[in-house]
Amino acid sequence: MAIADVKEYAHLSVEEVEELGRELDQIRADIEESRGDDDAAYINRLITVQRSLAAAGRVTLFASRWKPAFFTGAGLLALAKILENMEIGHNVMHGQWDWMNDPEIHSSTWEWDTAQPAEQWKHSHNYIHHQFTNVLGYDNDIGYGILRMAREQKWHPANLGQPVYNALLATLFQWGVALHDLDIEAIRKREKDPKVMKKQLKQIWRKVRRQVGKDYLLFPALTGPAFVQTATANAVANLVRNLWAYMIIFCGHFPDGALHFTEEEIEDETRAEWYLRQILGAANFTGSPLLHILSGNLGYQIEHHLFPDLPSNRYAEISDRVRPLCEKYGIPYTTGPLHRQYGQALRTIMKLSLPNRFTTSDRRDGPHSPEVPRGRRRDSERPVRRAETGGWTSRATA
Amino acid sequence: MDLAGHRVIDMPAGGIGELPFASRGDLGLDRRRVTQCALSRICGVCGESLARPVAFLGSTAEVARNAFHFPPTHESCAELAVARWGGARAVLGHDDVPGEWRLVTTSGFEYVRPGAEWTDRRAVFAPNSVIEERALTP
Repeated sequence: MAIADVKEYAHLSVEEVEELGRELDQIRADIEESRGDDDAAYINRLITVQRSLAAAGRVTLFASRWKPAFFTGAGLLALAKILENMEIGHNVMHGQWDWMNDPEIHSSTWEWDTAQPAEQWKHSHNYIHHQFTNVLGYDNDIGYGILRMAREQKWHPANLGQPVYNALLATLFQWGVALHDLDIEAIRKREKDPKVMKKQLKQIWRKVRRQVGKDYLLFPALTGPAFVQTATANAVANLVRNLWAYMIIFCGHFPDGALHFTEEEIEDETRAEWYLRQILGAANFTGSPLLHILSGNLGYQIEHHLFPDLPSNRYAEISDRVRPLCEKYGIPYTTGPLHRQYGQALRTIMKLSLPNRFTTSDRRDGPHSPEVPRGRRRDSERPVRRAETGGWTSRATA
Repeated sequence: MDLAGHRVIDMPAGGIGELPFASRGDLGLDRRRVTQCALSRICGVCGESLARPVAFLGSTAEVARNAFHFPPTHESCAELAVARWGGARAVLGHDDVPGEWRLVTTSGFEYVRPGAEWTDRRAVFAPNSVIEERALTP
C-alpha cells in the first residue's frame, strides 16, 4: 500500500498533499520569522516561576513535621517538577529555545529533574519517537515495551496483566522512562551492542545516583529532624509528577483517532507526507491555558509533532491555523477533553490485554495487516527501498 | 548476531571512527544517521552529544545559501574532520572536494526535510543564530 492509499487522505491528489505541505511550511516560516523577545521572555519567566516554586517547596519542607507544611511543600515541589519536566526540560531538549543563544537554555546543556539521562531521552524521544512516530516495530513509545497498544501487536498470555502493568508504569513512570532507551527487548534477544549498553548503564547509574541523592538524602538531611517527612514529601512530589506525566503522554498517541503505521519504506517520504503522518498519528486534548502549560503544551500534540523545534508557547497560535487546514483538506484532527482522551487510552489498554477475538475494534476500518513482532526492528530487518514514494499503511489503535 | 555495524537505530557508542559517524552511502552521507544527528542532537563526526556552539562544515556555496548537508558537529570535530578527510571525495556531504572548507558556529539550527520538488533529495540544516564563520584548511 502506498501513502496515497491511506484511507484518511486517499481522497487527496499528490498535488494537494504537496500544497498542504507548502501551507504548513508557511506556518513554520511565519513562526520562525516572528519568534523573538516575547518568546524569550516567556521561557525565562517560566523558569523563574519554576525555580521559585521549587525553592518555596524545599523551604516549606523544613517544617514538614507539621502536616499542612508537609502537604504544601510536597504540592509546590510536585508543581515545580511538572513544570520542569513538561514545559521546560522536554521542550528545551528539542532545541525549541536554542535560537536564543543562551548558554543555559540550550538542548546540549540542559539536564532535567528526572531519572533518565538527557542524552538518552534525546535518542529515544527526539529521534526514535519523533522520526518513527507510531510506526509499529520502531516506536517504543507504543506501549513502552510492556503494554500491547495496537491490535497488530501479537497477543501473549502475559498481556492479561496489562491493567496491573499500566498502574505500575504510571506510578513508577520516571523509572520506566529511565530504562526506556536501553531497549530491554534487544537486550533479551542479545542484539544490543555491549559497548552501547555499558555506556547507557553508566549514564543511568550516574543520573539515578544524583536524583536519589538529591531527593532522598541531601534535601531531607538539610531539614534535620524532619528528615523522614521531607524524604516522604519528596517521594509524594515525584509520584504526582509521575502520574501526571504518564497521563499526558498517553493522551498523545493512544486516543481512538490516532493511527498506527507499519513500515514499508520511510526514507523517501517527502516533507509533506511526513507532515501528514504526524497529523494522523497524534492526538490533542482541549483545556485552559494553565492546563496546557502544565502539560508542556502537549495538548497540542499534533502541532508539537509537526514542529517539534518551534517554541511551545506558540503551539496554540499554530493550532488555530493547522485545524482549519485539516478541515480544508478533509484530514482528521483528533482532539477532545483530557478525560475523554485518557479514557480512550485506558480502554485500549484494558481491551488489548485480551486476544483480538474477544474484542472488537473501536474504529470502523479495523485492523487488516498481519501481526508484527515485539521490540524495535534491526537495521538489517528494514525492507528494501522501494522505487515509488512513500509506503505507509495506517491502522487504528484499538 | 551482527554487532559490527551496530543497529543504526540504536544510540551510537561514540568516538571517532574510520569515517565520520554520518558519512556512509550517497555523497558521503548516511541519510538515516543524518536524521539521527539532527533529532538526537549528536555530532555528525563522533556521534556524541553536541555542545554549544554547534558547528556546521561546508562549502562557500552552502554558507552563502545558509543550507548545509553535513549534520551538526562539535567545533573540534569539524576541525579534525577537515584535517583527516577534507581532501577526500564523497565523505563530508560533498561529491567533490570544495574549493574551500568553511566553518559556521551557531547556537541553533533548523532541520529542513526534503520536499518533493527538490532534485537533490537530501535534508539540509540552516543555522539560525550564527556566532562565527571562518575558513578551515585541510
